[in-house]
Amino acid sequence: MSKLSNDTVSAVENLNRDYICALDNMDMTGWLACFSQQGSYTFIAEENVRRGLPIAFMLDDCYERLQDRVTQVVDIQIDSTEHYQMRHFTQLTNIVEQESGTVRATFNFSIYYTQKDTNHTKILCVGRYEDIITLKGGKAEFKHRKAITDSNVLPRYVAYPV
Amino acid sequence: MTKQSTEGPTLVWPKKYNEIPKAVFEMEELWPKELETIFYGEEWHPIVHRAEIPNPGDYKAAELGEMPIFAVHGEDGEIRVFQNTCTHRGTSLITESSGNKKELECPYHRWLFNLQGDLVGCPNSRDYAPGFDRKNFGLAKLRLEEFCGLFFVTMSDKTPPLKEYLGESFYEPLSRILGGDGRLKLIGYQKVMYDCNWKAYCDNDGYHAPLLHKAFALLNWQGGKGFQKVTENGHLSFESELKIPDDITALEDGSILDFKGTETSTGSIVQMQFPVTVYSKHMDMLNIRYAFPKGPKGLEVHYAYFSHEDDDEEMLAHRIRQSSNLLGPCGLISMEDASVFSRIDIGNKTPGNAIFQKGVEDEHKLSFTVKQNDESGNLPRWEHYRKRMGFERSES
Ligand code: FES
Ligand SMILES: [Fe+2]
Repeated sequence: MSKLSNDTVSAVENLNRDYICALDNMDMTGWLACFSQQGSYTFIAEENVRRGLPIAFMLDDCYERLQDRVTQVVDIQIDSTEHYQMRHFTQLTNIVEQESGTVRATFNFSIYYTQKDTNHTKILCVGRYEDIITLKGGKAEFKHRKAITDSNVLPRYVAYPV
Repeated sequence: MTKQSTEGPTLVWPKKYNEIPKAVFEMEELWPKELETIFYGEEWHPIVHRAEIPNPGDYKAAELGEMPIFAVHGEDGEIRVFQNTCTHRGTSLITESSGNKKELECPYHRWLFNLQGDLVGCPNSRDYAPGFDRKNFGLAKLRLEEFCGLFFVTMSDKTPPLKEYLGESFYEPLSRILGGDGRLKLIGYQKVMYDCNWKAYCDNDGYHAPLLHKAFALLNWQGGKGFQKVTENGHLSFESELKIPDDITALEDGSILDFKGTETSTGSIVQMQFPVTVYSKHMDMLNIRYAFPKGPKGLEVHYAYFSHEDDDEEMLAHRIRQSSNLLGPCGLISMEDASVFSRIDIGNKTPGNAIFQKGVEDEHKLSFTVKQNDESGNLPRWEHYRKRMGFERSES
């Protein structure tokens, strides 16, 4: 961690902040903007990761899939979802340089949701992000963000990425 | 037992066969009776596919009603299902949802069971009660039958043999969901808690009109020809052709909807086995939805996805990305289903009956002829439920 410049660490922190603010504000365009053109996203249960099972809750393995995730949330499922407000709380726990211009980072996350029709606030999921981040000219982008939930059973259907 | 304690709560059932009292979803006092007459009664419940525990020592924990159980792959290659309790003083033996063990040791007084369930060690047994004999203290085993690698249990000796219980109209399509020959590989789980009574899930997860799915319209995805078949004991099978347009303009990556079409179906098979299990094969997704009611409210559903042993790498990769993105609690074509479960649950807190309409030709007769998009395929299941629960139909 010591070898990384403060600029790199803050670029990574800023990227993560943009990401969680986009989701908490339901700004799916902002969410997509956090990924590079080679970007991908996975949301998966810890149990599958531990057992080497590839099935995920969301598996956007190319940029077109990320775009389609936005379409799914914004156009396709907009009327049928019981909308909920998310609040992401994250903590950078590890960051290492993988090669020049690429870092690996891990964040813990806990995400609360407040269902609009009940006003109850509950935990959506708790876990960690395992990220591969590319840095170009001081700007960081996700090459891959993998959200791994500790709790293997989701408390409800999940309409938006986390 | 006194007569009263077996009678339990009662509910007057409407005269018309297409009307279901909404109270049936809401009366908590029905749950103990449902446990006794359905979950611990003369029904078969799927617990595990061999592909989920392929090696000796592999185990999987599950529940039957409120009873913790587990399936384990023995040293002899046999799969058995046991109650998850030590035969000494009852400590549970399995605490994780899955794993691998060489033997089963109880942490409390160190009784040791082998994977076949025999008690093979018990320290200090010289001081045990005079009648103690190790042979009588093997793990409690459940009655078990296999179909295409899928293992079912029942608590009753009277339950008919599995194939007879399912009927050919059900087990034949089920064999195709299970890859035709049962030679499957587990590719993973999606698990979720749905906020509804288990019976509301049954009415809606098995099959419902495609009206719900805006995705179908947006993708310009027309349902092809199909049919439903229903058995007297409430099992429902639905099959239809899928007509997916070549050019899907709503998506950037239409390959997610490819139907590479191996052999076993023309597009979609969905089956609802009484009391609470759904099986499906949409396109290239092979899926078992193990469902565990958590009492009268709340249902935990474990979507288990499979590939076939003969898949090449391309097919395997396709099944993984299709299964991960289309079905389950976040899926493009199934998330709406989940939102309906909880909305129905809210609506059921009002008085009166839920009334089935589409496909009902005579309200005073139960029909087993169900057309493709009829909702009346749910009615034989309700009739079977009513009889199991001993509810009388009202005269007027
Ligand atoms: S309760 Fe298991 S050894 Fe005593
Ligand atoms: Fe559906």
